[in-house]
Amino acid sequence: MYRYSFSSRFVPIYWFVPTRSRRRVKHLKMRKVDLCLSTEGAEVILATSSDEKHPPENMIDGNLETFWTTTGMFPQEFIVCFHKHVRIERLVIQSYFVRTLRIEKSTSKEPVDFEQWIERDLVHTEGQLQNEEIMAHDDGHATYLRFIIASAFDHFASVYSISAEGMAVSHYS
Amino acid sequence: MVKLAAKCILAGDPAVGKTALAQIFRSDGAHFQKNYTLTAGVDLVVKTVPIPDTGDSVELFIFDSAGKELFSEMLDKLWESPNVLCLVYDVTSEQSFSNCSKWLEKARSQAPGTSLPGVLVGNKTDLTGRRVVETAQAQAWALGQGLECFETSVLRADSRPQIVLQQSEQEPSQRGTVLCYWHPQCTHVMILAVQ
Repeated sequence: MYRYSFSSRFVPIYWFVPTRSRRRVKHLKMRKVDLCLSTEGAEVILATSSDEKHPPENMIDGNLETFWTTTGMFPQEFIVCFHKHVRIERLVIQSYFVRTLRIEKSTSKEPVDFEQWIERDLVHTEGQLQNEEIMAHDDGHATYLRFIIASAFDHFASVYSISAEGMAVSHYS
Repeated sequence: MVKLAAKCILAGDPAVGKTALAQIFRSDGAHFQKNYTLTAGVDLVVKTVPIPDTGDSVELFIFDSAGKELFSEMLDKLWESPNVLCLVYDVTSEQSFSNCSKWLEKARSQAPGTSLPGVLVGNKTDLTGRRVVETAQAQAWALGQGLECFETSVLRADSRPQIVLQQSEQEPSQRGTVLCYWHPQCTHVMILAVQ
């Protein structure tokens, strides 16, 4: 019989360090910011799972205690809109139970013409978040990112935070 | 209000009543199909079942699968990442019961590393004179495999099963049986109860 209690499976995870260091970077180099924060203008414009207790905005609120959860079956996806052209240098995804993650990006004004960017098989972690770091080289230009969770280690997966370190290249009119 | 989705594999030997069972689920017990139809590959039955006392529901994607060996290879692709399993056998066929272990193994190989909760359903209990698989025998095997089990006759209107969902805090009904999987908020339990 499989019965999991909320408390044993979903331990709240506190992860202060990256947020602090990110803030420090922001102060040293004024132009480098976390592009994926809602306070920086980022927005989740599509998510295939909807649970009002764990909405997609939780991924970009800068709070590592809140998350977006899938509500059953895979693949699942969400699209982040930056509302400007950005150049991403480093992308960090903090999640739980994600197995195969594909990331596509678009440089269009509208969320169309996505091209395959990154595909990763994540490591299964027990009791702590998956912390997947992606370094972009010269290929980090985007206006939209589409994250596809193709498979997971459990029946549900969750994403706690998406952060993209980089800079805004231009605003579109 | 959350709408959860779950992929439920309906598996078992040919002609044990998988499609009849799927149609009973689809029609809430109203429709019993009298003629045999051979299922090629998979027939998909989508059924939304509410979770009582909540605004939540589960959209069940029931993969009514072919029992014939001919389609076995096809099923390997279609069965990818199942959430719950419903194994069916015919109480008048010893072979359909013994093959359940083969079906179970095939289904579990599609969910490596994750739990695959399931139920074992013995069908055709109306054929009392021809019964060869005893209830105790099925229960013992199901227990060893971590499956819940019950018997039914899809033919008889008074013993038709229906899918009932319950929250984990509630006790499963006596004759019901449990299909469950986990969601961050709580454990959602699905019960296939024989009314």
